[in-house]
Amino acid sequence: MSSNGDDVPVVRMEKIVKRFGTVVALDGVDLTVNQNEVLCLLGDNGAGKSTLIKILTGIYTPTSGRIAFYGAPVDIRTPAEARALGIETVYQDLALVNLMSIARNFFLGRELARAIGPVRWLDMRAMNERTRAALADVGIHIRSASEKVEKLSGGERQSIAIGRALHFGARLLILDEPTSALSVAETRKVLTYVTSAKERGLSVIFITHNMHHAMMVADRFTILRQGQLVGNYAEGEVTQDDLADLVMGQREV
Amino acid sequence: MQSATGVTHLRYRLTESPELVTLITLIIIFAFFSVAADNFLTMSALSNVLTFASINGVIVLGVATLMISGEFDLSVGATLAVAGYVFVIAINSGVAPLLAAALALAVSMGLGLINGIVVTRTGIPSFITTVGTMLAFRGIARAIGGGNMIAYTGERPALFLILNGAVAPLNEQFQPPANFRASTVWFIGLAAVMTFMLMRTRYGNWVYATGGNPGAARAQGVNVARVKITNFVLCGLLAGFAGVVQFAHRSSIDQLRGEGLELVAVAAAVIGGVRLTGGVGTLPGACLGVLLLSMLEQGLVLMRLPIQVFQATAGAILIISVAVNTYLSHRE
Repeated sequence: MSSNGDDVPVVRMEKIVKRFGTVVALDGVDLTVNQNEVLCLLGDNGAGKSTLIKILTGIYTPTSGRIAFYGAPVDIRTPAEARALGIETVYQDLALVNLMSIARNFFLGRELARAIGPVRWLDMRAMNERTRAALADVGIHIRSASEKVEKLSGGERQSIAIGRALHFGARLLILDEPTSALSVAETRKVLTYVTSAKERGLSVIFITHNMHHAMMVADRFTILRQGQLVGNYAEGEVTQDDLADLVMGQREV
Repeated sequence: MQSATGVTHLRYRLTESPELVTLITLIIIFAFFSVAADNFLTMSALSNVLTFASINGVIVLGVATLMISGEFDLSVGATLAVAGYVFVIAINSGVAPLLAAALALAVSMGLGLINGIVVTRTGIPSFITTVGTMLAFRGIARAIGGGNMIAYTGERPALFLILNGAVAPLNEQFQPPANFRASTVWFIGLAAVMTFMLMRTRYGNWVYATGGNPGAARAQGVNVARVKITNFVLCGLLAGFAGVVQFAHRSSIDQLRGEGLELVAVAAAVIGGVRLTGGVGTLPGACLGVLLLSMLEQGLVLMRLPIQVFQATAGAILIISVAVNTYLSHRE
């Protein structure tokens, strides 16, 4: 990756079109995320933010368009392929299995196992210990890794999902409305994870409705409206009011 | 948990493990019959409880695992009948018993695979899909059996004894003789292996995640459709195995064999704490559910009450146990 230099974008999506039957959800949208950058993806409900992200994470296949990852064209067909590239996503509602323990969630899909011959079993102790240590490493302190997720608050759950994404070596962290259901204090905490992810050298796509939260962390803004790209704006180039107007379609800048 | 009084603590424990509720219910029923039913506290009666629980239990292991991953299978009773017919027809036409059993199991897995593919490809709820295949598989059983009962009348091969022979040396120790059979060993062995699989393997983790939050599981790279298909195949395999084991005892199969078993299996799983919505429950719990129903049936028979009383009581226990678990899980 270093051979590509530091100025190659982490992700470049070009002319992405997605149709569901006759509905055009995305109509030729471009999106670029640079290295070590927090990009805020803004737009009203139905603007196509989630669809665009689900294409990037392999949940949807685009009708047409190109995706390049560190300059190389890629075809992301499944969530597993996105993950293999280093794209980790925290969805607002699809983050954790509430009925399972923190550690079982943390390692879901990449569980640690021990083996004697063909018999493989979960190394629960290692998973519990590593979960605790990994979360502590990103500033999240839990009582016990074997506690069920349903016992935690919304903010704690969001923290664990983000901590998991940070731990598993993401190069690009996607946060889909991570603050939408949180209290003020919990929101502040989640925003600090965005900053700390950037400090660790990651790039972040932060999807939100909330212009205030966007202003607090973003280096750049990409705005969608009704499946189309409205524009890209650097931090300092626009005010919070400008952003709101752009999202609502009340004026162009 | 701040106010850790005895009552809230007990309630917390019960919410954490619904199978404890099942165990307590089982003990109450046991105590009741010990007093109320003559001869209940004999090895003859208690071994019958285990023996009758074993065939159903093998099926419940598959049904409960599938339910934990968020799907249903109401075709297991019909699958059992198909397996029985395939087995006896193969043996009667000279196929070696072991090969005949393998054939019956392969067919059962194929039936499970059909369920799994239809459910995951079409998105039709498994409840509807497997009501459909229940009728279709029953039709297959009638067709291949020509609508008749088929018996095996030759000398009983060793496989029959291994699968479901009476444990004579043990049974003769008691007066009246007990009724322990090899089927119980199979049931306990399978229960242990599958409990290990669900609680302590990567696959088990995926099963719980698939039932608990399929979206989250998928996002973490779990192939949810493959987990469900695998569980449908497992369900078919275990139903077929139950059919073969049952045949090894009775040496005959008829077209109504296994009818209603699908509902008994679901009832046992639910009584044992498996939730209909997926993601919750354990196999030891489901096994307790089977044992409870079997004990209830045996006890009521010993009290010389008609079978309808068993059905009504089993239904009542089913509803009460769901109500208790729902109440416990909506604490706050």
